[in-house]
Amino acid sequence: MGRILIRFDEDQIKEPIASQIIIEYKVPMGILSAHINSKGGEILAEVPDDILEKVVNAFRQRGVSITVPKLIEVDSDKCFSCGSCIALCPVEAISFANDSTVQFDKEKCVGSSCSICVDACPARAIKSIKHNSLENPVNRKKKS
Amino acid sequence: MSKPTKTRSIEEINEKIRKGDAQVLTAEEMKKLVESSGVEVAFKEVDVVTTGTFGAMCSSGAVINIGHSDPPIKIEKAWMNDVEVCHPGAAVDLFIGATNMSEKLPFEYGGGHVIQDLVAGNEVQLRATAYGTDCYPRTSVKTTLTKDDLNQFYLLNFRNCYQRYNCAVNSSDEVIYTYMSKLLPRFRNATFSGAGELNPLMNDPNYETMGMGTRIFLGGAQGYIIGEGTQHSPKNLNGTLMVKGDAKKMSPEFLQGAAFTGYGTSLYVGLGVPIPILNEGLAKKTAIQDKDILTDIVDYSVPRRDRPKFGQVSYKELKSGSITVNGKKVRASSLSSLKVAKKVSYTLKSWIDEGRFFLTAPVERLPTNTVFKAMRQTEEIPFVVSVMHPAVTCTEDEEIQAIAKRIVTRSVNHIVVVDEAGKLLGIVTSWDITRAMAEGKTALSDIESHNVVTAKPDEPLEIASKRMAQNNISALPVIDIERKVLGIVTSEDVSRLLGR
Repeated sequence: MGRILIRFDEDQIKEPIASQIIIEYKVPMGILSAHINSKGGEILAEVPDDILEKVVNAFRQRGVSITVPKLIEVDSDKCFSCGSCIALCPVEAISFANDSTVQFDKEKCVGSSCSICVDACPARAIKSIKHNSLENPVNRKKKS
Repeated sequence: MSKPTKTRSIEEINEKIRKGDAQVLTAEEMKKLVESSGVEVAFKEVDVVTTGTFGAMCSSGAVINIGHSDPPIKIEKAWMNDVEVCHPGAAVDLFIGATNMSEKLPFEYGGGHVIQDLVAGNEVQLRATAYGTDCYPRTSVKTTLTKDDLNQFYLLNFRNCYQRYNCAVNSSDEVIYTYMSKLLPRFRNATFSGAGELNPLMNDPNYETMGMGTRIFLGGAQGYIIGEGTQHSPKNLNGTLMVKGDAKKMSPEFLQGAAFTGYGTSLYVGLGVPIPILNEGLAKKTAIQDKDILTDIVDYSVPRRDRPKFGQVSYKELKSGSITVNGKKVRASSLSSLKVAKKVSYTLKSWIDEGRFFLTAPVERLPTNTVFKAMRQTEEIPFVVSVMHPAVTCTEDEEIQAIAKRIVTRSVNHIVVVDEAGKLLGIVTSWDITRAMAEGKTALSDIESHNVVTAKPDEPLEIASKRMAQNNISALPVIDIERKVLGIVTSEDVSRLLGR
């Protein structure tokens, strides 16, 4: 499964773009989080790997901004394994190892587009890595 | 309960420690032993049980003496790494409070971090000002200090080691940031604190072996209990300790500065108490398990002293990672570190095993039957419930014309849209009606706002009033937890109260 962050602007929100793509490509899209109102918003979704590229391109053709989220960086020297991040994680990427050490599953973590754990860390051990603009060439706002 | 037949004394245990014969178990190991072999065997075999906890303990700080400058200064105000420190006594004695925040990096760096930096051997900047006297003429000083430059550097924590703590949830529609960390809306997570069955006070709830003068593990070094902590409330199992220890000998692993977004800074403290197994009763008490330790589930979205509760939960459930609140599964996570708490208990065990740590009998016992009183308030503050009045309502199938008429006859500016059960659906203002007239709209659905900012009846009026200002609106429907409309509070209500 690949994770994508879909950003809609104020105009795009009026069209059922996500539904159209789901129907057209018959893609089972899992919604991990969605924050949308009349001004626009974003959906964090999970898409099967074999169809990921097609789906990304389909959104981009319709002018919708898509980013593939980057990982979260954890400073293991600073982390004292309290675990306050664990219950916040929407994809259950954080857990306790057998010795009660907090561990991050990099495969599961949806990265900087989520970042829900970052400001909840009392040790300030979690950092959100910024998007790399080269890796996300289409991540730009439509000119108005 | 039968009277314990056999006892052992602290002197006997210390003699065994000296000879390297003492049997020491961590609290975790003791529970397993009692479960498998029973209290009698556990009492026979075990001399000491070591406990431990590592959590945010805000009422912590350090007393330091920085020596005299030349010419000398009687410090009036001082900052260490831009964190204001207090000057409670004479010229160069200072107290670093864990929750004081940096003036340059508030909410990120504070007194707890200054203490951690000093303990770690880092250089800390000191800035101080004074009014100048004949004996202390200097009016300002700037220097850098490490712990080696300090005459005394004592951790002096007036409330540590809470026996247990609330489990926090948030019933509101907004994320809230509290000292119980980030709480997601509508019960999407729960947080808790405390080591449960490893907590020192839980293993000796009658304070049989610990009191003033008890030698303990504090911040990675030996420290002492110096009395009951502030807010000590042993009667309802919310005991606390006041402790001190030489911070120069401590380790940054067991004393860590912390930052809670939107709340402030604090200090995580590692604290462990050795419990001498003087009788069978203590063997039994130290066998307490997480499933037997209950705590309240408390709604932190209600900004009141007595917050609503949603029943109780055991530390066993909390540590399992999910609990049930109102019949719904809620993921729970800890704020204190079980990993470091365990490390405290086995480090203390190894000190005793190696003959480096001896037990002390308390010089004075701690209170066992007191409770924590609320503040005596001579002034009452107003709450939403004290000014709210019945809301004028309408249903979604009504004509704009009828609603406009109601605005005039009832002389209000806000009409609350409700369903047949009286639950909130939306709001219409006189301005919305005016706009509908100007634009020729006739359907209520075209002008009604569904994103309604609301208030709760037991909220302080000041908070509701701030919410109106922040959202640039002049009224808030007051709703209960099921979104049933109880009334409305308007900016006129607020100004009427202020003008009284």
